Amino acid sequence: MKRADVLLISIVLIAALAFLVPRWLGDDKGGPGKNLVANITVDGKLFKTVQLTKEEQTIEIRTDRGYNILKVHDYGIEMYDADCPDKVCLGFGKITQPKQTIVCLPHRVLVEIAGTSGGDEIDGYVQ
Amino acid sequence: MAMSSKESATALKRTVIIAIFAAVAVVLSIVEAQIPLAGMGLMPGAKLGFANIMILTCIFFLRGRDAFVLVILKTLLTAFLLGTFSSLLFSLFGSLLSFVVMFLLVRFGRKKLSVIGISIAGGLAHNTGQLLAASMVFNSTSILYYLPVLLVTGIVTGILVGFAVRYLVASLSKISLFEEFLN
Repeated sequence: MKRADVLLISIVLIAALAFLVPRWLGDDKGGPGKNLVANITVDGKLFKTVQLTKEEQTIEIRTDRGYNILKVHDYGIEMYDADCPDKVCLGFGKITQPKQTIVCLPHRVLVEIAGTSGGDEIDGYVQ
Repeated sequence: MAMSSKESATALKRTVIIAIFAAVAVVLSIVEAQIPLAGMGLMPGAKLGFANIMILTCIFFLRGRDAFVLVILKTLLTAFLLGTFSSLLFSLFGSLLSFVVMFLLVRFGRKKLSVIGISIAGGLAHNTGQLLAASMVFNSTSILYYLPVLLVTGIVTGILVGFAVRYLVASLSKISLFEEFLN
């Protein structure tokens, strides 16, 4: 190892941690009362926006490339089934926090969790 | 183009080395595809990148265009054998970016960086290239959410690959097939 190696490792580590640490410390947890939504895009176009509820919902996406079945439950969303060749999308598990994503590269499906839809956050806390 | 027998012998040796390296790289890719990294909390689809051992070693011994052929061969063969054609474009983008970075560093940065640093840079370029290709296809930057974690894992696997290359280059240098490619 030379000095430049150590320098390279340190710079990249610091840059990565600068993004990771706020994420770990941040109070960005999902759950009840957060009114999170998941934006589902296919081929870069918005397919559907769903509210992440406690109740179970099933979303089916059928395109020429194949199908993806998403399930919403317990304030999170997960890829339940897909006929893509690599099944990588099934490995993401259930995502519950804003900015987390599920990607199915072969089917060009992208699921991303976002805050309250429309930016009208106050509505989210009305009892 | 007429070649002397010495030239054609060298060309044959290059071809043999590329073929052997491609075979080993494909086997390494298949082996690492069996390791369930997603179960360890990493981004699904993430790989250890051990095939990079062969590509970096090839850059050390042979010319840039030979290593380029190896990269293309390895990516195509892996896609054929693992049936991951749909992500071929992404792995090609990552592999080529990683190859370019490592090639330039081996040729021009050898005084500053050791094999380990070059291997780390190559791994980081691979991860970044794939995520950039994906974000271009999806027309969305949200997939870059995984970049920081991939940078950290890229450093770890880059160090492992770097050590492997160091020992491999030292051992191969003693074999007569590689004698004339030493520099």
